[in-house]
Amino acid sequence: MEHETKESGANAPTQTNNLTIPAAIVIAGALIAGAVYLGTYKGGGNVAVNYSQPQPVAQQAGNLDQMANITGSDHIRGNPDARVMIVEYSDFECPFCKRFHDTMKQITTEYGDQVAWVYRHFPLDQLHPVKARKEAVAAECANEQGGNDAFWKYTDRFFELTPSNNQTDIDTVLPQIAREIGLDGAKFSSCLTDKKYDDHVESDVQNAVATGGNGTPWSIVVAPNGKKYPLSGAQPYASVKQLIDLALQEK
Amino acid sequence: MVFQALQKVSRKPQYTILALTTSVVVFAFAVWFPNLPLIMEIMGHPGIPFSQKFDLPISLLGSIATNFTLLSASYTIAIALLFGVNLAMTIYFLRRKVSEVRESGVVTGFIGLVSGVLGMGCAACGSLLLTSGLSLVGASGILAFLPLAGGEFGILGVILLLISIRLIAKQIQNPAVCKN
Repeated sequence: MEHETKESGANAPTQTNNLTIPAAIVIAGALIAGAVYLGTYKGGGNVAVNYSQPQPVAQQAGNLDQMANITGSDHIRGNPDARVMIVEYSDFECPFCKRFHDTMKQITTEYGDQVAWVYRHFPLDQLHPVKARKEAVAAECANEQGGNDAFWKYTDRFFELTPSNNQTDIDTVLPQIAREIGLDGAKFSSCLTDKKYDDHVESDVQNAVATGGNGTPWSIVVAPNGKKYPLSGAQPYASVKQLIDLALQEK
Repeated sequence: MVFQALQKVSRKPQYTILALTTSVVVFAFAVWFPNLPLIMEIMGHPGIPFSQKFDLPISLLGSIATNFTLLSASYTIAIALLFGVNLAMTIYFLRRKVSEVRESGVVTGFIGLVSGVLGMGCAACGSLLLTSGLSLVGASGILAFLPLAGGEFGILGVILLLISIRLIAKQIQNPAVCKN
């Protein structure tokens, strides 16, 4: 014999090796399928984050219908009676939320009274411990003093000024923004420390999770007939526009 | 050696087509992953004309530029390309039944893909596939200790796929035979 395989005559190891490929494929497929199932199936564990609040966030089914009703206490940019409402659950330290904030500003400017933007808090404590939640409370403190306008001025300026990913010096930046938008510094500091908005922020977080949010920005586009579309991540302007146009067609 | 093996495989157009198709599918999956429920909703919506059903999924591909960091976009594209090449080379190799060989390259490639999928994206903050899995076992906090918050798995995927391609290329170029 001119050529001979190294393992000729060793059938048992060859058979074992022959099983390696199918086994690897099956295991890989099962792992990927499992991960996809867990990541996308609404009845599966959509909760991706742990929260620092005392009560643990339970694994629950994500259901868009669990979205808390939009009320006068929400932070709404644009016409409160707009045909399409976009509810965004956002984290002040998330770089994608910073990027998406500009997209949403463009959307509300271009669509005028047809589309309104509702801002809710979804600080990811696991990724941005302490700071994101405190910044959310600060936005509520701005709202307390200056109403809806102050809330939006605060969020716009915050995303404009800060680099995201826990690099914000909150002791300096939060009072600075408060001063810039004309708030009373002493009242703002007192509001930040007295924890009165902790429950409000946590309620937003729980609602984000209940609707299936597992990362930020997490948005729900509500059509005129009440139909809800989920939108995960900082999607391009073109995608958001297409989704709004589809929602506007709903009767 | 890898280059010569690639040349050998790409001489047959069907393998080039397979590699490209696989890469496109893996890339699209990675980019669409956070919005699969939305895409399914649009596809199944009876009120949306067929001609419009594909507009949104196509535009969502643009999120590689808005919903990924430079690092995660880089390894997501790399994993898609490498997996396409890896699969085409593996099938070329298996169909030719070069000889009884070690399947370490094939196994490494699949481990690379799995690792890549787990760390794929950073599609929005906290949306990694890995995060969902870890949360089930109460270990999602571990990501806070990883410098790249799970992106390590994407990089590992790229490395494993590169190793796999090298192993398969070696086997294509130098089948495991003993010469007298």
